[in-house]
Amino acid sequence: MNDVVWVDTTGMSFDNAVRHKLGRLIDVSGATADLTEGMRVALKINTAEEGYNYGLRPEFIRTVADAAAAATQTRPVVCDGLKLIDYWKQARGNIFMKLTNLQGFSSETLGGHFVINGGFSGDEGDLFPCNLSDSELGGVEVGTAVCRSDALWVLSHVTLHPLVGLNGALLNGGFDCLVGRARTRLLKSLNPYIFNGQKPPLPDLRAFQRRALESHLGVKAAVEGNIFFINYLWDVTPQPEFYPFSENPVVENKGFLASSDPVAIDSASLDIIQDEGYMQVEAVGGVDFATVLQEAEQMGIGSQKYHLKRLS
Amino acid sequence: MVEHKHEPTKWHEMKAPIIGGRDTYQSKSWNPTKKKWGVYTQKGPAPVWFAEANATNWTESMICKTKDLFYEAKLNECFEKGDEVAIKIHYGEWNRTSVLRPEYIAAIVEEVKACGAHPYVVNDTTLSYHTYNSMAISQYQMEGAIRHGYTDATFGCPVLIADGYAGEDDYRVDIPEGLILKETYIGRAIAEADAMIVIAHARGHSITMYGGVTKQLGIGCQSKRGKYITHLAHWGDPHDAIGWPKFTDKCPGKACKFHKMCDDSCPRQAHHVTEHGKVWYPERCRLCYSCQVTCLFSGMTGIGFEENYFPNAMIAHADAALGALKCFDRGKVGLINCAIDISPECDCFPWAGLAVAPDVGIFASKDLMALEEATLHAIDNAPVTPGSVAAEKGCKPGDDRFRIVNGFSPRITMAAGEKIGLGTRKYKLINYEPPMTPENIAKWQIRRGGEANQKPVTVRLRDVFQKHDLATEVMPFGRTAYEKEWAFNEWKKYDPFKGETPK
Repeated sequence: MNDVVWVDTTGMSFDNAVRHKLGRLIDVSGATADLTEGMRVALKINTAEEGYNYGLRPEFIRTVADAAAAATQTRPVVCDGLKLIDYWKQARGNIFMKLTNLQGFSSETLGGHFVINGGFSGDEGDLFPCNLSDSELGGVEVGTAVCRSDALWVLSHVTLHPLVGLNGALLNGGFDCLVGRARTRLLKSLNPYIFNGQKPPLPDLRAFQRRALESHLGVKAAVEGNIFFINYLWDVTPQPEFYPFSENPVVENKGFLASSDPVAIDSASLDIIQDEGYMQVEAVGGVDFATVLQEAEQMGIGSQKYHLKRLS
Repeated sequence: MVEHKHEPTKWHEMKAPIIGGRDTYQSKSWNPTKKKWGVYTQKGPAPVWFAEANATNWTESMICKTKDLFYEAKLNECFEKGDEVAIKIHYGEWNRTSVLRPEYIAAIVEEVKACGAHPYVVNDTTLSYHTYNSMAISQYQMEGAIRHGYTDATFGCPVLIADGYAGEDDYRVDIPEGLILKETYIGRAIAEADAMIVIAHARGHSITMYGGVTKQLGIGCQSKRGKYITHLAHWGDPHDAIGWPKFTDKCPGKACKFHKMCDDSCPRQAHHVTEHGKVWYPERCRLCYSCQVTCLFSGMTGIGFEENYFPNAMIAHADAALGALKCFDRGKVGLINCAIDISPECDCFPWAGLAVAPDVGIFASKDLMALEEATLHAIDNAPVTPGSVAAEKGCKPGDDRFRIVNGFSPRITMAAGEKIGLGTRKYKLINYEPPMTPENIAKWQIRRGGEANQKPVTVRLRDVFQKHDLATEVMPFGRTAYEKEWAFNEWKKYDPFKGETPK
């Protein structure tokens, strides 16, 4: 059973605003314990497609980036990969940078150098093994900003997800860290956009989820296990960032979580979102995330059981 | 002078050439030559537009003239509306002061946007080059670029590393025409652009003797492995040393005060010092220059370059420039040389020597070799800056300046370039003089477009002053009881000409 620290949204005050809460989250969760001077930390974030208007505020990332910079005395790298599908605008390096800039994400606002994970083409990466005896993929190509770093912090904007159920530590710290062509390979022609209620068949969906979880192990191998997760339960929209629009959030803002266990933090996130009968992720998103968590645990990625430490 | 004991460098002989996985990896070009690629000028002379440095009024601002040349040389016809246009510049090394001012780049970005295209500014990562290099790591290179004022905010468009986070995001390009190289690797942000405008800082270069647009294309557009190839890494027998540093058997080992810096200089640990000499593993070396730069520029003589290395590297970089051009259709690459701050060395040096000539001006063309010849000719004929390395070496106007300053004639590159189809060395120089008219004065001023924006700032200020005029509120200013003696007479005591009006 692993620790998950949760800083909720109660007790906001002059000395307990969001940035104070995030600072305390980092302190209490021991995020910087394994960092030493000179280590290159990559912060993997979710950048939004044009039209998606619930992206995380730059300050939420900057507070975390400042903590990483203070621990390493080195400016961290803030990164995200190009969006996969050429329907919209983020599939090309220069336009990706322009759009993220328009959303207020820049090296100045984020507190770290903002780069594309996978370079201009999105395909710059190295191959790492999934370290699983019955692996379907064998290995995955992880983007260079992630795999050339000494440590990875996965900062996930928690939203519903049409293929996995929930966008969180497992997806953002796995599939989303891969180069573009590897993600295309994992999708196997599965359309990540759901139009007019048309969804992929369940067996295809399950097979993809399995591959996405395998890729998480590949990413972990790429950074030699130096990986930490922060989940932002803030503006939890039905669509993830790669959609060119967003509907209203499905729950009120619940705060921020941190853990070194991706399964534990995503389990806790799911439980908090579904707490008090606000909503059932499966009912809204149409995909059963609990099954994904079970499979992740079976694959040894982490534990569904967690010890929640709640702070105000 | 301290007498050092020298032991011959100990060689770990290579058993065989290094063979990677190239039979299965990128054995064919990923980016086939564009079908419409072709030599820009079949027969000279090619036109080159020139605007001299210096300005005495609005229209002669160097920025305004750069914009004028962009249209005079028809660089606006290199791309279509809606095209993605790479603007290739050099981001400059940390602590380098002689780099292009951001305004020159912003000026071109503004006009590319005004023509309806989508510009983005690019540079590739470099090899190590020297111990404290910042440009080999993309994150550090961006920190340096920001320090030079090269940002999204100053240019108004994205500023990117062309070959990715690790310098490995590239396309392989075949160059069968090459005199030495037969392949090169181009950063994908460049290779995938629809068109490119290259803005080069024309100045000297320690390897290619002179660095202008050809250098931007032949090294600047190359990814890390593209740069290794252009450097001729692992070319020839290690004992010939063309593709390796030359170890001279004169290394004093640990007696050298730079020995730790020398050991640290190699990113692949291909050499280390012993008590009185050096151990050398040629199979680990990829020829990044770090050890050579450390040794040569610290005044030591243990590691250097083979005699014919420089001319060979000059020819190779012309080959590599062809590889970059072949990523584009004919006429899709616009070229600008800024002969400003003409320092003796490359912008990848973390210092800047005194300029070898005063500022010459801006050159623009679509023919690479014509542009380079015109630029070189003008620099050669410019006065020699007193105190510069050119003056120290006795250079006179009209001499082949970069040959005297750096060792070999840049014409070697130009002759090789002309032979492989980079352009014609014959050029026709067109001197551009901006017309002094009210319309031309207004043309490149801040805020263009629309009726209101076309008004001069003075006219726009009328609205402001009608509503708010804090200056008038406090008038008359508090100087009624001023020191009349100082205002009329006292100051003349400090003027050798006693207040006479200059003739």
